[in-house]
Amino acid sequence: MKNSVLFVVILILVFPLYSIAEGFLNVPVIKEGTTIKKTDSRLESTVNLSHDEAVTFYRDALEDYKDIKFREWKDATYIEDDGSRPWHSITISKGTKKQTTVIIVKDNWTWIITTLVLRYIGVFVVLTVLFLGMSISGKIVSGLVKRAEKRNAVST
Amino acid sequence: MNLNEILDMLLSTLQTTGIYNLEWRLLIMWGVGCLFVYLAIAKKYEPLLLLPIGFGIFIVNFPMVPLMGYSHGHPQLLQVFYHYGLEWEVMPCIIFLGLGAMTDFGPLIANPKTLLIGAGTQLGVFITFTGTVLVGFTLKEAASVSIIGGADGPTTIYLTQHLAPQLLGPNALAAYSYMAMVPLIQPPIMRLMTTPEERRIPARQLRHVSKQEKILFPLITVGIIALLVPSVIPLMGMFMLGNLMKESGVVERLTETAQGPLMNIITIFLGLSVGATMQADKFLSWKPLFIFSLGLLDFAVCTIGGILTVKIMNLFLKEKINPLIGSAGVSAVPMAARVSQVEGLKYDKTNHLLMHAIGPNLAGVIGSAAAAGMFIAMFN
Repeated sequence: MKNSVLFVVILILVFPLYSIAEGFLNVPVIKEGTTIKKTDSRLESTVNLSHDEAVTFYRDALEDYKDIKFREWKDATYIEDDGSRPWHSITISKGTKKQTTVIIVKDNWTWIITTLVLRYIGVFVVLTVLFLGMSISGKIVSGLVKRAEKRNAVST
Repeated sequence: MNLNEILDMLLSTLQTTGIYNLEWRLLIMWGVGCLFVYLAIAKKYEPLLLLPIGFGIFIVNFPMVPLMGYSHGHPQLLQVFYHYGLEWEVMPCIIFLGLGAMTDFGPLIANPKTLLIGAGTQLGVFITFTGTVLVGFTLKEAASVSIIGGADGPTTIYLTQHLAPQLLGPNALAAYSYMAMVPLIQPPIMRLMTTPEERRIPARQLRHVSKQEKILFPLITVGIIALLVPSVIPLMGMFMLGNLMKESGVVERLTETAQGPLMNIITIFLGLSVGATMQADKFLSWKPLFIFSLGLLDFAVCTIGGILTVKIMNLFLKEKINPLIGSAGVSAVPMAARVSQVEGLKYDKTNHLLMHAIGPNLAGVIGSAAAAGMFIAMFN
């Protein structure tokens, strides 16, 4: 009985570790990859797959995930999570044919705060442009209206 | 036919009724629906919307009612309204058409610097976004919740439907409830953020705005918004079309239809459809509670943002602006402007701030639409 309990406890402890080893921040990692740099918030690795194969791997792996966005950049494919998962992005480089760099980055507040500040400034920019547009057009139109009124007053 | 067969028949008949399928969650939703109907009728809180929303909540939370599902592959009544009106994002835009046809932008055109107050007010939207992410909402959900502070019902509905349709009911309810409660929420914050001297700053007479300027305004605005935040052009385009119809004076029949019958018809369908999304299995979770709490915080920070913007502007302006009009930057038109007027009169009986507050009030509508556009662009 004791041995059975011990076996079950070991199994419970070991199984999650085994599962985590398969991925990083709950993102599946391509097994054949070589880790270049790994910290708590970032995993950079190279895989012996072409860019398209690596993208296909992640498309399949993330198929059931909602709020995932694939962006095609000039030198990389950028996968972004708009949900509440522990990772923020996966960048798959468009490098040599048979070797691709994959970078997985943890969800970070720097990105959220930066994008919010930029967008708040963006609202100011939109309304400032509108303010300038209205001020200029207001001056022109009210000037024209006054001139027309004067002309009418003179003619009558 | 023996007794057992009769009992079986009675039981099977009972199983086809709602009584047999009642559950406690539905009873709670009846309470929620009736609460909003009560607030609309007894307290007159945004009755035009809260009454159909409340009734929508009430009616969809009866078991087996064929309203929000599909019968033989065909959508049921409220599902049709929801699909064509909200999923297709038609109704908020038509509401904006009607609002445009009802709005006089004169005070904003006469004093365009108040546009900056409308931008400053959006502070709450961006701060609440952070808080919403912290409590566990996804980024898209956070964006849709944070726009509540802009106090603009159609924009909230438009953005939520775009980014997080599962939160449509609670977000719309929070937005309209807090809009109705502007006279309760804002005054203490206004008093806290201003000194008695600031509250007495006189409002000077606004200049006359010509008809030509009023006709040009929607064209300039729609052009600038289309260039800078194209994602909100369905909303702003309709808003400005309504206003152009009104100011041109040549399509009176269309203007009257847009601001009257069309707006009323759409309001009924919008309210019912929003209410119908709040079925017990979707609504009864921790999220609506957070939405209501964060919405209140959002409103408060937006009010602070507007007042702070006026104070900062006053550092650079020769003719100071009364900071009480800053709170009107939340776009609850014209309620927030009326609150500024009432608060201003308490400190100087001759200082009428209403027309001055209408400027930031309308700027708030444009500002919250711009903020919504920023969020849509962020996720597209």
